[in-house]
Amino acid sequence: MGTVPTKFDIIVVGAGPAGSSAAYTLAKKGFDVLLVERGRVVGSKNMFGGRVYLKPLKDIYPDFEKSAPIHRWVTKERISLIHNNDITSIEFEGKEATSFITYLSQLANWMAIKAEEEGAILLTEVTVDRFEVEDGRFTGIRVGDETLKSEVIIDAEGANRLLLERSGIVAPLKPKHVALGVKEVIKLAKDEVEKHFGLDENEGLAWILMGDITGGTPGGAFIYTNKDSVSVGLVVILDEAIENIDKHIYNYVEDLRLHPLLKRYFGGGRIMEYSAHLIPEDVWGMMPPQYYYDGLLITGDAAGFLLNLGYTYRGVDFAAYSGYLAAEAVEQAYSSGGPSKENLAVYKKLIEDSFIYRQLRKFRGVHSLMKNKRLFTLYPLIMNLTARNLFLPEDESLKVLEAFKKARKGRVSWFTLLKDLFMVVRQV
Amino acid sequence: MPLKIVVGIKWVPNTTSVSIDEKTGTLIREGVPSVVNPHDLIAVEAALKLKDRYGGHVTAISMAPPQAILGLEHVIGMGVDEGILISDRAFAGADTLATSYTLAKAIEKIGDYDLVIMGHETIDSSTAHIGAQVASWLDIPYIYYAVNLEYIEDKHLLRVRRILEDSIEIYNLRLPGLVSIAMHSDVPRRVSLTNKLRARIEKPIRVWSNKELDLDPNCIGLRGSPTVVAKVEFMPKVPRKQEVYKDGDPKEAAKWLVERLVKEGLLKIPGGE
Repeated sequence: MGTVPTKFDIIVVGAGPAGSSAAYTLAKKGFDVLLVERGRVVGSKNMFGGRVYLKPLKDIYPDFEKSAPIHRWVTKERISLIHNNDITSIEFEGKEATSFITYLSQLANWMAIKAEEEGAILLTEVTVDRFEVEDGRFTGIRVGDETLKSEVIIDAEGANRLLLERSGIVAPLKPKHVALGVKEVIKLAKDEVEKHFGLDENEGLAWILMGDITGGTPGGAFIYTNKDSVSVGLVVILDEAIENIDKHIYNYVEDLRLHPLLKRYFGGGRIMEYSAHLIPEDVWGMMPPQYYYDGLLITGDAAGFLLNLGYTYRGVDFAAYSGYLAAEAVEQAYSSGGPSKENLAVYKKLIEDSFIYRQLRKFRGVHSLMKNKRLFTLYPLIMNLTARNLFLPEDESLKVLEAFKKARKGRVSWFTLLKDLFMVVRQV
Repeated sequence: MPLKIVVGIKWVPNTTSVSIDEKTGTLIREGVPSVVNPHDLIAVEAALKLKDRYGGHVTAISMAPPQAILGLEHVIGMGVDEGILISDRAFAGADTLATSYTLAKAIEKIGDYDLVIMGHETIDSSTAHIGAQVASWLDIPYIYYAVNLEYIEDKHLLRVRRILEDSIEIYNLRLPGLVSIAMHSDVPRRVSLTNKLRARIEKPIRVWSNKELDLDPNCIGLRGSPTVVAKVEFMPKVPRKQEVYKDGDPKEAAKWLVERLVKEGLLKIPGGE
């Protein structure tokens, strides 16, 4: 029994998109990789709305489209403002797609299997209690009373980063740093999904809704069409939700599912799954002071690599790509003489030269919009009133501007309106 | 002499999350994760305790679809030395007779064993047949409801305490023999990281199909299974009344409760009205 190793080149903590892509890339390069996951099965701790952008994953996995679990390509985008029983939407539809809809549990599982196929050792149901540190260098993981050593640890533990907290690298998350996402997956037949949402085979809808469905709390709702089910849920900024929300958050998902204008989309479906997860929101506020330490690289949600575009989040592809860059950094460190702190510093450069960092910088102002409650309640109301004035005339029809003026009057000043509009246009 | 132990484990749907299709009477297993039958984990614990104390070798055996490798990895993670998965479409649809026959033949193929240990029953069918049937096929003695196994090395006997409702019987079991461990009589140990790693790296699991066992197709799987589930009936929903006694006095409360139970015909008092 002497063949069981007690030391690996790399230990990756967390088999989500970040961890599995790091493990895959490193194993492919010939490193000894151990990938440990807290969940009983890979993907059981992961959650997202439904959509993943293709390009970063294709850069990591050249055969991605051929073998990954892709449910539907997003060919239809709909953004809706909702107030009471009124919905005003804009929609884009085409025949091309650069993003797809999937179950994250399936995608995470696929990614973990890819890592195993390249030779990484995957262990599930392993909860790392803490990192081992010797003379300031991270040297392994501690699980119960057992220790495994490594040259480099890749932290891909996700948004709830207990290990980084215990290592003193970050302070515990505050409600203002994160949003809460909750969702239900509703089972429908494949042809029902296509019929209900007006889709052809393999086509998908990404639908974002903003308005009073979040009970006045900044955030939004989403609906994504899977192959033979629909994901429906919402995201609320946590500190605002704590202030505003007076009923359990799952009631909001239920309200959404039972909304008079929305329930027909889910008619006859059975709820398969309910889930909730924290989403890094103020990523600049929660980022660790550095992405790399002596013997440790931080990836994915744990590092705050998640982009809020205002109308949608990009987390999975950012996480996966940061894992990939961590793997590249390890390889470069080895080829420069070994994984010393100095050599691992290349990770910082790789991140800062990548689309991850450019995108996070470009959209860093979006978070400030989340403080503006008018965007989430007042403007959806005004837009729907405008639509009412326009489309439900008593006898005489109004001009568009008249309809808008009538809806605005007494609700918001032109000054505030233009200021808010400018803010949105500038940030998003 | 170190003990050579075979322990049987079953890969079962986690019945806490299984529901029943009222139309067909079958289990809705879709999306329900499977686990090692919890009562079998206590059998594994018993085997490992013997190994810890007297030395030996523990082989876990399971008849199941290929995914059950995860179950075998789990018990190897606890400290079991090796696993054998008996897996073949030919074994599918087996009742307890065909299952026990297949398991017995696999244990015969392992050959050199002193003791077979099984769990009390399974959480998905609760027949408690398999232990007795396997022992019968192997023509070895067996004891159910066993706890606190002790090996009497010089006589090659197993001292077994058998828990009954109101007594404990102590037996000396001639080996090779089979014991089925009383449910809830112990707590299975946790999986260790090193053993888990061993399960993954050394892969000490063999898979036997009917190519290896070469059993008569009429004795295995659906064809070897005389059991027929004739019908599944659902318990009618019993309307329940709920009354709460709010006053504090326990004597009055007891009297109140008995009166109510008598009134509902749920309790008869001898000599009472």
